[in-house]
Amino acid sequence: MKTRVVNSRLRLLLLLILVTFAALGARAAWIQTVRAPSLAAMAQTQAKKAIVLPAGRGTIYDRLGNPLAIGQEAIDVDADPMQIADPRREARIAARVLGIPFRPLYRQLSDRSRGFVYVRRKAPPRLAAALEKRHLVGFTFAPDQKRVYPQQTVAASVLGYAGTDNIGLAGLEQQLDGRLKGTPGSAVVVRDALGQAVNTIQQRPARDGRDVFLTLDSHIQANAEQVLENTVREWHAKDATAIVIDPKTGAILAMAQEPGYNANAYPAATTRNITADHAVTDVFEPGSVFKVVTIGGALSQHDITPNTPIRVPGSLHVADRVIHDAERHGFETLKVKQILQRSSNIGTDIIAARYLGESGLKRWMYRFGFGRRTGIELPKESRGLMPSYWSGSTIGTVPIGQGVSVTAIQLASVYAAIANDGEWVQPHLVHRVAGEPPVRPRRRRILDRGADVQLRTMLKGVVSDQGTAELAAIPGYAVAGKTGTAQKPGPNGYIPGAYVATFVGMVPASRPRLVVLVTIDEPHGQIYGGLVAAPAFEQIASFDLQYLEVPPDLRIR
Amino acid sequence: MILFALLLFGVVAVNVAVLRAHVAVSRLDDERAKLESRNQELASSLSAVDSAPRIEAAARRLGLIQASEGNTSYLDLTAGGR
Repeated sequence: MKTRVVNSRLRLLLLLILVTFAALGARAAWIQTVRAPSLAAMAQTQAKKAIVLPAGRGTIYDRLGNPLAIGQEAIDVDADPMQIADPRREARIAARVLGIPFRPLYRQLSDRSRGFVYVRRKAPPRLAAALEKRHLVGFTFAPDQKRVYPQQTVAASVLGYAGTDNIGLAGLEQQLDGRLKGTPGSAVVVRDALGQAVNTIQQRPARDGRDVFLTLDSHIQANAEQVLENTVREWHAKDATAIVIDPKTGAILAMAQEPGYNANAYPAATTRNITADHAVTDVFEPGSVFKVVTIGGALSQHDITPNTPIRVPGSLHVADRVIHDAERHGFETLKVKQILQRSSNIGTDIIAARYLGESGLKRWMYRFGFGRRTGIELPKESRGLMPSYWSGSTIGTVPIGQGVSVTAIQLASVYAAIANDGEWVQPHLVHRVAGEPPVRPRRRRILDRGADVQLRTMLKGVVSDQGTAELAAIPGYAVAGKTGTAQKPGPNGYIPGAYVATFVGMVPASRPRLVVLVTIDEPHGQIYGGLVAAPAFEQIASFDLQYLEVPPDLRIR
Repeated sequence: MILFALLLFGVVAVNVAVLRAHVAVSRLDDERAKLESRNQELASSLSAVDSAPRIEAAARRLGLIQASEGNTSYLDLTAGGR
């Protein structure tokens, strides 16, 4: 009896084992056949992950080979919350090692509805390596690049900015993005069941971006920025711009503006609205610095010479406007060179009306490059504003630089043309891009041969005790240049008390090596270009001449 | 049997050698990447150290001032120049 009970229990056990194995077998067959494709796909996505291999962004160098914008290695740390069993512990460790707040990270890692979250983008490699050593489940470490501007404030607005995704957002970074960014590669990271990367299979290698070599000189640039900072502080001005250009080549050695900002803190600077390149995006009424267009045009047409006498009245009626000179005078006879030296509005208007007329003036403005972009390698370059409608008084205002708006770079390139024997050379910031031939700037003749020498000689008179820019003089060097003081236009006419003071000069005047333009926006206390902008020119040019070892062309007594 | 064992040993040895080479290549790749990264870091530091505002500030702290243009002498070495 006892044996029979035991046997029946054994049979029952055997049956149970058989049923269990049958169930397991059926489950295995179900998984291997019906569920196989979907489970395989799921396993594939969990074990393998396609990643983008970032391309190294090209470095931007100044003309001396100093890096002004450079890519530095960084690590994107990301995680898969679905694989994280203890988000509190992992968030605590990651937050401590990476130096980030715990709570937001914990919230992210606890959200198991997501398969991917950024823990920290562009983490310093040292911190990322320290975290990697902790072997946290579900964490991945992908290489990336961080853009760094080692000279911080130097040429910040020219360089612009490359954002989190290494895309150029402003300045040269934006304009040259296609060459700088390179082509990202791709790879597949194979991970084990714990989410640790065990292998990386490269599919397409990344191709780094090209390096760019600028014409800018970081020392000349930094000095110009320093001078502008002091000038703006001294005259409580709104802002200021300076351009230093080599007239022979059109190479821009400095393009400075104040207020400046640290290029590494571009996003913060955008909120203060100080990141635009004023020299190319902003327009202003040039005032008397524009008179070289009128007088240069008439000289080039051989209608006048520097010694041509012009009868200049005390005031001049042009349609409904009355034109005056800065200093009141009666009828007098001035030579053309004296008209430029004293910056006579009336004399310039008479030359414009007598020798150029509306069509001639329009032609000369276009020939000098006003109303069209210079083509400098910066985004959002303005064409300037030419009069859309010529009323009866326009011929009295445009010749003296009123009712017309220009950019600083247009103006600097015009004076560079006067310094370069009358030939305009396209102003440019890029000397060459690695793997490409050097940039060949466009050239065109503006002034008739001889007119350039006459203009330069006359402009030398401006920087004398008889002219308006005595403070631009540099011991040992002959300086030629022109002052401008223009009222700022507003929506309801000219803004009372708001002026732009300008000085553009070339040095040494006998064989100009540099053209320097300085504009000071809304100075207080003094408003005249000869008093506000000319000293800044003198400081910038003095430093540059020494730095570039340009020998004097005058004997120092 | 011995021949088979030798062949098997040879295959294993080749595989081990290939594996070692892969490991070495991977290690060298890592090293190259690290050196490139270090090089960029140093170039960036050098540029920061060489920046004119920093040098000027340091010079000012030492009591140095910019030489005025009138104090710079040039020698004219062209024929007849003095």
